[in-house]
Amino acid sequence: MCGETAVKPRFTHMPLEQYIYTGTVLKWLLGLAWLLPLVGFAIEIFGGAWGKRLDPVAGGRKLRLAGYLAVFCIGTGFLLSLTALVVWKGGTGVALMPTAEAVSHGDHAAPDGGEHGSDDHAVDHGEHAGHDGSGDKPQQATEGDARGQSPAAEAHGHGEADAHQEGGGHEAHANDPYAAAFSGTYYELARFGNLRLTIDYYIDGLTVLMFCMVTLIATCIHIFAIGYMSDELTEDYEDHFVHLSGGRHFHRPGRFYRFFAFMSLFCFSMLGLVIAGNIFQVFVFWELVGICSYLLIGFYVERHSASTAANKAFIMNRVGDFGFLIGLMILWTYFGTFQFANVSPAGSPDAANGPGLFQMVRDSRGDLQVEETADEQVVMLQGSGSADDTSSPRSIPYWLLVAAGVGIFGGCIGKSAQFPLQPWLPDAMEGPTPVSALVHSATMVAAGVYLAGRFYPMFTPEVLLVIAYVGCITLFIGATIAIVATDIKRVLAYSTISQLGYMMLALGVGGWAAGIYHLITHAFFKSLMFLCSGSVIHGCHHEQEMTRMGGLYKKMPITCGAMLVGVVAISGLAFWIPLAGLTGLSGFYSKDAIVASSLAFMAGNPNHFLLFLVPLVTAGITAFYMFRLWFMTFAGQPRDQHVYDHAHESPRVMTTPLIILSVFAVGCAWFGVLENWILTSEPAHVAAGLTSAYHVLLTMPSHHAIHAMHHTAGTAALIAAVTGALLSAVFYWKGLVDPESVRKPFAGVHHFLVEKWEFDNLYDVMFVRPVHVVASWCTAFDKYVLDGILHLLSRLTVATSAWDRKFDETVVDGLVNLLGNTTYGVGRSLQVVQTGRLRQYVMFIVVGVLGLFVLLIMFFPRA
Amino acid sequence: MNETALLSLTIFLPTLGAFALLFFEKKAVEGMRVFSLVVTAITFALTLAMWKQFDPSVAGMQMQTSLVWIAGWNINYQLGVDGISLPLVLLTSLVSMLAMVASWSITKQVRGYLMLFLLLETGMLGVFLALDFFLFYVFWEVMLLPMYFLIGVWGGPRREYAAIKFFLYTLVGGVLMLIAMLMFYFGSAQSTATGESIFDLLTLMEIAEVGGFDRTMQITAFILLFIGFAIKLPSFPFHTWLPDAHVEAPTPISMILAGVLLKMGGYGIIRIAMPLCPYGTQYAAYVLVALGVFNIIYGAFAAMAQTDFKRLVAYSSVSHMGYVLVGLAVWKISEASGATVGREYWVLGVNGAMFQMLGHGISSAGMFFMVGVVYDRVHHRDLNKFGGLMQRMPHYSGLAMVIFFAGLGLPGLCGFIGEIAVVLSAWSFSPLLAIIAASGVILTAGYILWTIQRVYLGPEYKGPHAEELTPINGREASVAYVLAVMAIVLGVYPELMFGLMRTSIDTLTISLADGYDAVRVIGDQVGAVLSP
Repeated sequence: MCGETAVKPRFTHMPLEQYIYTGTVLKWLLGLAWLLPLVGFAIEIFGGAWGKRLDPVAGGRKLRLAGYLAVFCIGTGFLLSLTALVVWKGGTGVALMPTAEAVSHGDHAAPDGGEHGSDDHAVDHGEHAGHDGSGDKPQQATEGDARGQSPAAEAHGHGEADAHQEGGGHEAHANDPYAAAFSGTYYELARFGNLRLTIDYYIDGLTVLMFCMVTLIATCIHIFAIGYMSDELTEDYEDHFVHLSGGRHFHRPGRFYRFFAFMSLFCFSMLGLVIAGNIFQVFVFWELVGICSYLLIGFYVERHSASTAANKAFIMNRVGDFGFLIGLMILWTYFGTFQFANVSPAGSPDAANGPGLFQMVRDSRGDLQVEETADEQVVMLQGSGSADDTSSPRSIPYWLLVAAGVGIFGGCIGKSAQFPLQPWLPDAMEGPTPVSALVHSATMVAAGVYLAGRFYPMFTPEVLLVIAYVGCITLFIGATIAIVATDIKRVLAYSTISQLGYMMLALGVGGWAAGIYHLITHAFFKSLMFLCSGSVIHGCHHEQEMTRMGGLYKKMPITCGAMLVGVVAISGLAFWIPLAGLTGLSGFYSKDAIVASSLAFMAGNPNHFLLFLVPLVTAGITAFYMFRLWFMTFAGQPRDQHVYDHAHESPRVMTTPLIILSVFAVGCAWFGVLENWILTSEPAHVAAGLTSAYHVLLTMPSHHAIHAMHHTAGTAALIAAVTGALLSAVFYWKGLVDPESVRKPFAGVHHFLVEKWEFDNLYDVMFVRPVHVVASWCTAFDKYVLDGILHLLSRLTVATSAWDRKFDETVVDGLVNLLGNTTYGVGRSLQVVQTGRLRQYVMFIVVGVLGLFVLLIMFFPRA
Repeated sequence: MNETALLSLTIFLPTLGAFALLFFEKKAVEGMRVFSLVVTAITFALTLAMWKQFDPSVAGMQMQTSLVWIAGWNINYQLGVDGISLPLVLLTSLVSMLAMVASWSITKQVRGYLMLFLLLETGMLGVFLALDFFLFYVFWEVMLLPMYFLIGVWGGPRREYAAIKFFLYTLVGGVLMLIAMLMFYFGSAQSTATGESIFDLLTLMEIAEVGGFDRTMQITAFILLFIGFAIKLPSFPFHTWLPDAHVEAPTPISMILAGVLLKMGGYGIIRIAMPLCPYGTQYAAYVLVALGVFNIIYGAFAAMAQTDFKRLVAYSSVSHMGYVLVGLAVWKISEASGATVGREYWVLGVNGAMFQMLGHGISSAGMFFMVGVVYDRVHHRDLNKFGGLMQRMPHYSGLAMVIFFAGLGLPGLCGFIGEIAVVLSAWSFSPLLAIIAASGVILTAGYILWTIQRVYLGPEYKGPHAEELTPINGREASVAYVLAVMAIVLGVYPELMFGLMRTSIDTLTISLADGYDAVRVIGDQVGAVLSP
């Protein structure tokens, strides 16, 4: 971003009519795709409950209508999302195919294509005038992150912009994320003066991409689930995992409809989270996906382990949401709005709502404006607090912006199972496997990454560093535990944690596009692998231990092949193919981009070398444990003949989704389309990088710097992955080395890993038990102190009155007795009324009250 | 219908109904129940008519009635409704009607029960509609007596203890209120046009707004009033009557107690304590917010340790009503100028507090009803002896989950809106307290989910009378559905109630700010005169 482009308003737009037209169409297309699953949920939950009585199918088998309905809803959602993609592309004129020059780079289709794609794009729109007031005017003291320490003064403008430039010669063009975005309001929940709580939409390339990804994967998984959950289609389902007090197994009616109802509710919540146009709405749907996850993890409600896992998931997420809430409070107090960005041009219906968070915190070049006041540094907010509106503050202390960012990221930590809130995710595997595939790998847990990406403009470099380290720690923890796990789903769960860590790391080191890129590719290959594991589990009659599998490739060839695709994709392996050059599956490109970003980051910040080394080593570990899983399950000789004999390939309703997902896991990153698509939404300040940041000395790599590292990083990552895969083959395929012999010298480490780094025990001692202790203190305080005081008071009163009585009887009564004797007669006559019958007392009260009001009426004439 | 008669009719219809019950045959138990239900239903319809006639854009009192009652003491029979009282009136009549449906399970002394129930409804409606301090006090006490008997006669094993505890606590609150009332009565004489003392709340508020009551008096009166209302709310350390009363009260009375009676504490603060003592309110604001935050946390912790299902729900009420206290009091002023800072956030807080009362009225009434449904079947409430109700009573369990999630504060249900509005408003008042308040979400999730796990999930029921666990009948389902639907409606369309409250609350905060400013200015002038 140099010269002219830097000061030109990035706020370029299509003509007003086109914006309104495209925006309206997109709003309703995606809105419909979002709401359809909710309708499906309502029909399924009620229809399922009532449908039992009307079920015409004989023999206790029930219809699969609920499943078909759910598939219909989400499938239609996918078609609508595709339509939205076409409309969005047509309306904004974004070029998704890379230019010829980019393709000529050959081996690395990725970021090059991206830069050039957005380059074209910027040229397309560069001529249109923007509407953002602050964008047009010269800024007062534009302080970038880069030069935060030297306040003020310097003339800004064209020359200044060069300071952002890393390499000098090579220009990185800043992207304008608002040019291809549409924002507006669906529905206003409440309004208090200028404060509005709304259900908005914010539709840009990322939104459309997420919609397509979520609905496509969800459709595949729904179809798969019709097959997988078919044993729920009975009136008498026997649960072999639950033992009753009598020693019998637990029997219950099947819950086919309930499963699909919850899945539909989840799809609704997830799509609501993606379409959200403000951070409050994200929070709303954040909680809703959380509760869907709770319901689905605890789908087998009779299993204690399942309900405990569900509670654990929800409560640990709430710990993260506590941080989220703090972030919300800070933003709400200082910004007075929750909206991401208001890109509606003047004249469109939603233009009047004022600027959004991103537009307030960063100027049109994507810089923070930091000013030194007497005792602190504050970030000046753009376009807020006009002279007559004193209620909305004009600045936010810098440290509070950091706190808000860390708080919001706290929510992401919970949802994406990042360190230190990762232990819930492996336990969440108690849910049915399609749930693990959809909720706990592809979509919901990725929502944390999505939010971190979406909220990127609000994160200061300090926050990004936190994100990077959290991701780095997480990816290592996840990968190490995955090495020793033997439950096929748990291996995948730990691998999910690890991969989510990669995404966070990428975002944290300035590789915004790389993080989102990996989010998408990972969604495909991880949901594929989970479905494969589901197919294995289904085929092996609910056997999940890999130690009892082996040799299954003969029994289930399709599953085996699909799983291999997933394993190769996640390991990031690539092959030399004549004519095409070095070609990998989807995971190769995205992991490559991440490693390149972190290498570029390390180049600028040598102190943070771990942020490169750990992911590099972990890339090898990833390949190792993923191939271990594949070898243990499919290759070699059967370890348990019984399991092997009864194993079978799954029906076509389950294998077809595997094939579809395989296609995407292989090729979704080819031709640079995905990369370009993502880059249309990249925040403005990312492309150029930073030379140094504000409080901590940090250099964020620019596109150019990352590109320069590509070959080195790619080669290193590939070597690591190949090494890991080969080691795995040595141990688990060829059996050249017995894993047991390696394990023995490291028994302590092994135990530590099997115990999941002792997190569960630690948290139990640190939090769970203290909470119960404090809780019992509170109750005891009520019982013994507060009520104790009360009882003491009452005893004192009684004692006083007893003394009083004595006094009365001896002294006073002597005098009164005389009088009393006369009164006695009267009292005796009144005794008739005192019957001790309750009904009569009640009647007296009624008559008394009525009398009171009769008196009231009698006094009226004086008015 | 004549507007002025509408309010009076709404209040006294239940009393007339109670009187009419005397004419029933003693054996005609079913007839009496149906009749009482019809009376509560008509009362509910009348409040709906009130809603229809209500104009939400008007800030002041509407449909006012003012008749002289005891002229010698300037006591008037004065009623009116505004955006603050109307939602609570609607809540009262709705919850009363539902509690009446739930009252079919009462089989002992039915006539007496129904009469007291209807009298109670009169008292509650009267409190929300009275505009004369004395009349307010009368209704406040009228409500007390039926409640005492309803707990003390139809309650559980320790009913006498619970009833007396409830009675004494409330009575103490009433006495404190009486003292404050007399302070205002005699303090008003110097400010009224005629020089007479008055009980008229509206005039008293106007006096307070221009600084007619001095600092000392405002602070003293506010403390008295606040303790009186805090007992009802209930707030720590005056809350221990609540778990006992709830545990011993029969199900429908628990519904009323949680759904309506607790709201009188909040209503008293916003209708009487705050407008009459703007200076006192501001003086105590930090303590109030801190106390509210403490309630949130303390109630949640205490709830977690309970093994009695009803006690748990009772403590959850303590926790939830803490939000009300926080929301009402997040009134921040500039230390230097005394001007109100960020009034929008305070307005949000007060709105949130009001909405929290409504949301809690729905969710806690629902929770108590849901406890009652199983208690009627198995006659125990020990949380460790449940489990597996999802298998035995799926329909009931599904509805119960919706209502418990509403209590948990799940978005899309009524509990969320009030909580989030209060929490969002709190940062601008005090970041530290806001953070502590927000941490309540973790504890709340903890105790509610743990309860759900122990009661509804699991393979089999572990307690006695397993054979009694029959699916809920139509009557019970209808109550549960109404509450569940209300929880959803308020959760997704809060504007339904915010729309009613907005103007009144906005005006209230402005007049409070003026009232504070007036006293502050006067005080400064006095100080300026005295100092040289």
